[in-house]
Amino acid sequence: MANVLKVKELSKQYSKVLAADKVSFEIGEGEIFALIGPNGAGKTTTIRMISTLLTPTSGDAVVAGYSIKKNPEKVRENITYLPDEAGAYKQMTGIKYLRFMAGLFVSDLDRINACVDRAKNICGLGDRLNDKIGSYSRGMIRKLLLARAVMTKPKLAILDEPTSGLDVLNAIEIRKMIRKLAEEEGMSFLLSSHNMLEIEFVSDRVGIISKGHLMVTGRTDELKERYSAPNLEEVFERVVKENEVH
Amino acid sequence: MKFINLLKKELSELINAQMIFGLVISLSLFFIMGNVMQSVTDELKEDSTHPKVNICDLDDTELTKDLISSLKESCEKVNIISVQGENYAAPMNGSDIKGYVVIPKGFTESVEKGEKSELISVNKVKSASMFSSLTGGTDGTIALINSFVTSRLAEQKGLSQDDLSTLESPVTITENTVVADKSAKISVSSVLGKITMQNMLLPIIILVLIMMTSQSLIASISNEKIDKTLETLLSTPVSRGTVITAKMLAAAIVAMINAGVMMIGFSAYSKGMTSAITSDLPGDVSVSDAIGGLTSTNDAFRQLGLSLGAFDYVLVGVQLFVTIMICLALSIILGALVNDSKSAQTMLLPIMMMVMIPWFVSMFTDVNALPTVPKLIVNAIPFTHTFTAIPNLMFGNMKEFWTGFVYQLIIFAVVMFFALKLFKSDKILTMSLNFGQKSRFRKSSKTTED
Repeated sequence: MANVLKVKELSKQYSKVLAADKVSFEIGEGEIFALIGPNGAGKTTTIRMISTLLTPTSGDAVVAGYSIKKNPEKVRENITYLPDEAGAYKQMTGIKYLRFMAGLFVSDLDRINACVDRAKNICGLGDRLNDKIGSYSRGMIRKLLLARAVMTKPKLAILDEPTSGLDVLNAIEIRKMIRKLAEEEGMSFLLSSHNMLEIEFVSDRVGIISKGHLMVTGRTDELKERYSAPNLEEVFERVVKENEVH
Repeated sequence: MKFINLLKKELSELINAQMIFGLVISLSLFFIMGNVMQSVTDELKEDSTHPKVNICDLDDTELTKDLISSLKESCEKVNIISVQGENYAAPMNGSDIKGYVVIPKGFTESVEKGEKSELISVNKVKSASMFSSLTGGTDGTIALINSFVTSRLAEQKGLSQDDLSTLESPVTITENTVVADKSAKISVSSVLGKITMQNMLLPIIILVLIMMTSQSLIASISNEKIDKTLETLLSTPVSRGTVITAKMLAAAIVAMINAGVMMIGFSAYSKGMTSAITSDLPGDVSVSDAIGGLTSTNDAFRQLGLSLGAFDYVLVGVQLFVTIMICLALSIILGALVNDSKSAQTMLLPIMMMVMIPWFVSMFTDVNALPTVPKLIVNAIPFTHTFTAIPNLMFGNMKEFWTGFVYQLIIFAVVMFFALKLFKSDKILTMSLNFGQKSRFRKSSKTTED
């Protein structure tokens, strides 16, 4: 399986805080990789560096063959990023927003229409897409944004807390959608979440990050076996505690 | 294509129903104000060209009868009023009379004795407005009565009309005004009056342009940060330079629309205000004399080199463009500092100060004539040079004009450099100003570290 993302000792130093310290991992084609960790662990910083929003202090990441340092624009052509608590332009209608965002990825009108049609099917908002986003509920906005994130069929979709703000049924629907896109279309995902149950269900591999260090990576089953834990939540707890002891 | 897509989005955000409604209201207000001012100035003109005399003759002698007959010859309408005792308000109640003159008992006797005679002037005040005292007053009537009495006194003393004229105005003053090395036969007050009227429009347009541009761009950037759409936008395959250019261009277009509407509205207002003032009136009395000695002075302006040519207006336009660019560059930096809607409003304050200070200073004094330290301080504000551009061009202060222009270009280059550096760096996502709000700052820091 070819790597879509290869992160090599990626570090980010803010004035006094080392937010990410030599973080390294890979994501294969069609693979769903999840970064999990407590608040302030460095998940969002790592994701923002891979999304080319932040410049790494050291290290590099290669997305679809392009370095985030040397070819950030090429990287952005191959990724989509859905930030945690992201909003959308409230004065636009849902359909106009999708069209606007598609227009930033592709210039051809037919391809824009294809992206929008795909997003319409994925989000399932129906006629509400003709309403202004300002009238949407938080869950509806999240569905719209998720559809936006996958409509251009990126090589790597980076989703920070993808189901935050969604009810149980909608969250399940989104998880199924992510799995389907990975399995059927070979789309790769980098997720970040606090919801261990969600991560256990949806991801192929996880990376546990704490205080800027990526402690451990592996398949969920492997980690459960390695740490003799019944679920990912307990794996996470043991890894974090082990890190604190050392 | 991507740039057009971004520009359309920025414009659709800025040009909305609220903005259009605001513009329509502003425009309507200017037109209404213009019409109101025109009605006031028309009234002034009417009073001057067709003076109305309201007079009460309590003396009732041959002389006062002759006086009233004389008034009837020189005025279109002479209204005779009766007053009971000292109840001067009674004749005005329920009528449109704004003022009248009372010839008291003993008036003729005083005239015949060659003593100073007394007249009673009664004027009604309906409001505290500047022009309220200029219409329908008794000044014209008193002037005519004075003239009549003077003639009678001259006759008594055996003086001819020429002698009288010399006595009334023994010295004739020919006023000359010098600008640089040119001079013209015109009073300084007339020159300054016309310059003030002409230049009233531009500073207001500059003010509106700068405020609207700043507000648009600060709001555009801060809304992206507050609504958390900026990260999504910056993660798309569009360069940050393209994003910021689209934002700047959209803000500039909206500012131009605003300035255009304001210009149309203000022109209508000015036209209403100056139509009667600047017109030449028959006879010696003109409305312009009544409100500050402003006369039709186009020839004198050309003679003094105060009229601006096409090239001068091009220079003013270019300088205005550089001003807008400085304003946009500053707004990028200020917008990047915004973390919530409250701080977005606060961020407009520095720009507002930088506009208001030179506006007020240039309105009341000549910046070039200030003492060195205040002059340096005021000239350090880049927008000062926009406000002083037209006066500098008018009075041939080309050194000051070009120095100001070059200074603005340097300021623009420096501010734009920092603005682009900021927008292309991590700081656009991590930097914020929180005036004393420690908890918010901690929250913000935590997000960046997560």
